Amino acid sequence: MRLFFLQFQGEMWKLFARKRTYLGFGVFLALELVILLIIQLPKVQRAWRHVMENAGYGFEEYFSGITLAFQVVYLSTALLGGLYAALVAGDIVAKEVEDGTLRMALCRPISRLRLLAVKFLVCVFYTFALTFFIGLSALAVGIARQGIGGFFVFQPMDKLFAVYQFGPGLVRYLGSLFPLALSVLSVTSLAFMLSCCNVKPAAATISTLSYFIADMIFRRIPYFEPITQWFITTHTESWYNALRSPLPWQTMAEDYTYLLALDATFVLVGAVIFSSRDFKS
Amino acid sequence: MLELRDLQKAFGGRPALHGLSLEVRAGEIFGLLGHNGAGKSTSLGVLLGQVFPDKGEAFIDGVSVQRERARALARTGAIFEAPRFYDYLSGWRNLQIYTSYSARVPKEKIAEAVETVGLTERIHDRVGTYSQGMRQRLGLAQALLPENNLLLLDEPTNGLDPEGIHEMRTLIQRLNRERGITVLFCSHLLVEVEQLCDHVVILNQGYKVFDGPWAKLAVEECRVRLDLDDWEKAAVILRAMPDVTLSEGGFVAMKNGTDTADLVATLVHGGVRVRAVEPQRRNLEEIYLSITHREISPPVAS
Repeated sequence: MRLFFLQFQGEMWKLFARKRTYLGFGVFLALELVILLIIQLPKVQRAWRHVMENAGYGFEEYFSGITLAFQVVYLSTALLGGLYAALVAGDIVAKEVEDGTLRMALCRPISRLRLLAVKFLVCVFYTFALTFFIGLSALAVGIARQGIGGFFVFQPMDKLFAVYQFGPGLVRYLGSLFPLALSVLSVTSLAFMLSCCNVKPAAATISTLSYFIADMIFRRIPYFEPITQWFITTHTESWYNALRSPLPWQTMAEDYTYLLALDATFVLVGAVIFSSRDFKS
Repeated sequence: MLELRDLQKAFGGRPALHGLSLEVRAGEIFGLLGHNGAGKSTSLGVLLGQVFPDKGEAFIDGVSVQRERARALARTGAIFEAPRFYDYLSGWRNLQIYTSYSARVPKEKIAEAVETVGLTERIHDRVGTYSQGMRQRLGLAQALLPENNLLLLDEPTNGLDPEGIHEMRTLIQRLNRERGITVLFCSHLLVEVEQLCDHVVILNQGYKVFDGPWAKLAVEECRVRLDLDDWEKAAVILRAMPDVTLSEGGFVAMKNGTDTADLVATLVHGGVRVRAVEPQRRNLEEIYLSITHREISPPVAS
């Protein structure tokens, strides 16, 4: 176990010594600031005031840091979603194969499965770290700009509406970050599986993103409404169910069981491919 | 110490190894010689469990690499043509990462290996700033850790300048002499193999075409230049000798085992006056090329 920890530590050194690891953090921070600036525009604020007051809630109380933070997370993950998770996971095996460092590692008595397990664990860590960074930085920036207040959850496209006082709202908001990370993990797992194949790192990342974008587009086409459960993004978007009142436990449990099974399948297929490959210059 | 038993491997239907068998004894520096594509790297890949053979098995210390890879490679280190490192990390971090795939290695052990290869001063610099020679030395340091007694070296002097080549060769010889480390040295450079190896196997298109001590290869066929008074008469006598071949310019090639004294006696006995006999040592390239350009036949026995 101590050796496994050492190997994990080594993977972490590699992960955090590379600039591309920080790219996601930097870009999301910049995106959050841009979204916040847009939300601050008088025209946008008027629209918010209209919605809140029509629903019977005071704009001054509910147009708060936490309300903005949710909007920022919702929009930024929808826009950039798993891009950075796919970038890291798509790179983690394929790039090392390309660079020849994986062949050096495989001169050692470590088993291929163990090496993959360490690498996947690092991807999981990165996915959670990035997601919590997005959520917490959005909250910090939101509160710094707009202060503490009630939590007004409103997204008409997803028929999402809920209102909380700051305390319970904060619990809901922070609680939603965990399922959000699990949703992003599906992107990570697919990119990881493709990274285990004999492909260039960029191909693994691009193929993953293409799949998820296509999945999202198809799911929104009305003809596919009856088979919406077949699309992965139907389940990955379940994270904001954590903000509904009452909490739809069963739906969330079903969605995340589906996603975790899918993740396990991706990782397993990747492991089988990786274990049966010849590595030769 | 190390054994390859009837290895066969094809990539996409193209055969890379044809029933290769060889044995390396403990404490030996063993050369694996061949052109590019002869099967050297594939053999090494099979030995490290990176390439799955279609048939046959590799053993290290009697343990099958294919069945118990972790146990077989527990004390084996390897480097390839150009050892690959994480350029964005220091040499020290690289060693920590690579050794963590084998065992928990104390810092003192790593420092000792670094000192052995003469890299102490630059070990905390980023590998991206290293020269090719320093990378090779770092590669050797990682191959020595944690406490390996078998080194598999695939073209370890690739890209080095003459001074670097000399340093690397001296280092390998010192490790073999002082620590008793067994070395399997793959190269296509004859001079290197000649200067380092006790025993050599030559591969050609996946076939083993020579297996034996280097000295045996060098004397397998010896040549002499004769100065005679009657070449016509001599040619008749020489053609009658089974292990002797006459070639232009007064050169006579003799198969291993034929004594020059017997040759001279036969000529004198046949009435030919021998004015001078000058032994000719064929250069290595000639020997190597004559072996690798022979018609490919099933593997030879040791």
